[in-house]
Amino acid sequence: MPTPTLLQSIAITLIQCVLVVIFVFVVVPLTVFAERKVLGHLQQRLGSTRVASGHIGVTGWMNRGMWKWGRIPVLSYWRGIPGLVADVLKLILKEDIIPAKADKFVFFIAPAISMVSAVVVFAAISFVPGTFFIFPSWFPGLAGLPVSGGIADINVGLLWILGVASVGVYGIVLAGWASNSKYPLLGGLRSAAQMVSYEVPLAISLLAPVVLTGSLNFSEMAQRMATGTSAWGLVPQVFGFLIYLTCGFAETNRLPFDMPEAENELVAGFHTEYSGMKFGFFYLAEYINMTVVSALAAGFFLGGSWLLPFGLQGLVNKLLPAGAWIAGPHAIFFVAKIIFLLFTYIWVRGTIPRYRYDQVMSVAWKYLIPLALVNLLLAAFVRCAV
Amino acid sequence: MEHFIETIGRNMFAIFGVMALGGAAVVVASRSAVHSVLAFLFAMLCIAGCFLSLEAEFLGMAQILVYAGGIVVLFLFVVMLVEVSKAKEKEVFQLQSRYAIGAVLLGVAAFSAVFRKVIFGAASPQALKLSDNLAQGLDVAKQNAQAVSRGLFAGYLLPFEILSVVLLVALVGAVVLAKTERV
Repeated sequence: MPTPTLLQSIAITLIQCVLVVIFVFVVVPLTVFAERKVLGHLQQRLGSTRVASGHIGVTGWMNRGMWKWGRIPVLSYWRGIPGLVADVLKLILKEDIIPAKADKFVFFIAPAISMVSAVVVFAAISFVPGTFFIFPSWFPGLAGLPVSGGIADINVGLLWILGVASVGVYGIVLAGWASNSKYPLLGGLRSAAQMVSYEVPLAISLLAPVVLTGSLNFSEMAQRMATGTSAWGLVPQVFGFLIYLTCGFAETNRLPFDMPEAENELVAGFHTEYSGMKFGFFYLAEYINMTVVSALAAGFFLGGSWLLPFGLQGLVNKLLPAGAWIAGPHAIFFVAKIIFLLFTYIWVRGTIPRYRYDQVMSVAWKYLIPLALVNLLLAAFVRCAV
Repeated sequence: MEHFIETIGRNMFAIFGVMALGGAAVVVASRSAVHSVLAFLFAMLCIAGCFLSLEAEFLGMAQILVYAGGIVVLFLFVVMLVEVSKAKEKEVFQLQSRYAIGAVLLGVAAFSAVFRKVIFGAASPQALKLSDNLAQGLDVAKQNAQAVSRGLFAGYLLPFEILSVVLLVALVGAVVLAKTERV
């Protein structure tokens, strides 16, 4: 295999970045769409159905037929998808209003901080260990070169992810402050307190995998968590997963922890004064953060790009013949787990009522942090004793 | 092209350093406290970049995690809560500017006195590294985190623990200062 020159490796990295951006911009709109539909079905209705070719053409004919048979038309699950295009167009074309008393510079830079810190996390996430694909021989300039499954598989990947994600809180706090208005400021302050609080149990729950694997590199951790842990490692992994997921919901400001927005109390919280694509950036950043949290949960707890979660793959692999397709890592498993966790986000949103603000904080400090510490002790015990 | 990129790569430390200094200058010069905090955040991120360009990834990430993710958020929190009207803010800042210049000059003098040899002297024949018995079986360049942890928890355990007590003192002091008469 030829080693790439400097320019070639830069080109490969750029291609990887483009691939990740494509992945993000495919997953995010589909999540938005799924949110409408899944929430709808959770509440015994069909979700968004207005914008669709549901009455004319072949699909309309099939839909009408299925209604006639007295069933929910299968095709209606996809109705409403054209509405996404309208949504995006609206975000881009809408007038961009900056309040007269706002701090212009901070008002401008806050959505950018949110967005950048959400996307940049993907640099350290590897979708599949080792080579993802090799450029075919007809590809100009890059023929025969391998593309790895992650952009930068640095040896302190977990710290990079935590560090960059923790910068995201500035976007919300600064947006709240720069709007120069009551409700955004309250939303911003709340979210600062909430996100800083939940970062503590989140980080501690991620320390359990670090203790179990003895590494900080994303792909190495994913591999050892999936295939290398003993049967005893199951317990801290399951507990850690639940704690991590709870904190992840709070970190991404999703229901039941949507304090920064809190539609019923604060109008729209920190982004009340935002419109147009600036609001669109916050919206995108929220969904990208959801994807990131899902990717971390999938990588560290659900077995990464291996099939079975919680380290069961390592136990099953002993029974499987060596080199079986199902025993190896595949990017498709990783993506499938991310999508399942995104569904879980919507599922929880439709199921659990939201907390009061003091309850949110007491959940973090009184329950999650002690639980996460106990889990860490458990993991250390498993690591030392077994 | 290739040469150009390589030159940039070699001088990454200088680039990040200059950017960090620029950010620090804005911290001092800015009229608005929130802008100062933002510039401080920028400077901290640039310092993390400096660490990264020296292949000290762990330190760089710790810098982002601790300063950018934790401490500056609290700064911002306090600055946002303590609302100072524009005029008063201006007055306070201008009052302090002459002291600030003095402090900067003093800092430069102290810094150059301490680091004179480092900056102008001959380069050290060998790179700074962990003592041999600590670095055993460790690729320091690749396993940054392990090297730092061995240094902290094996080489300098006592000073490290004493430092944490100093932090605790600051914490208790802050609580005592913030507590009102109520008790």
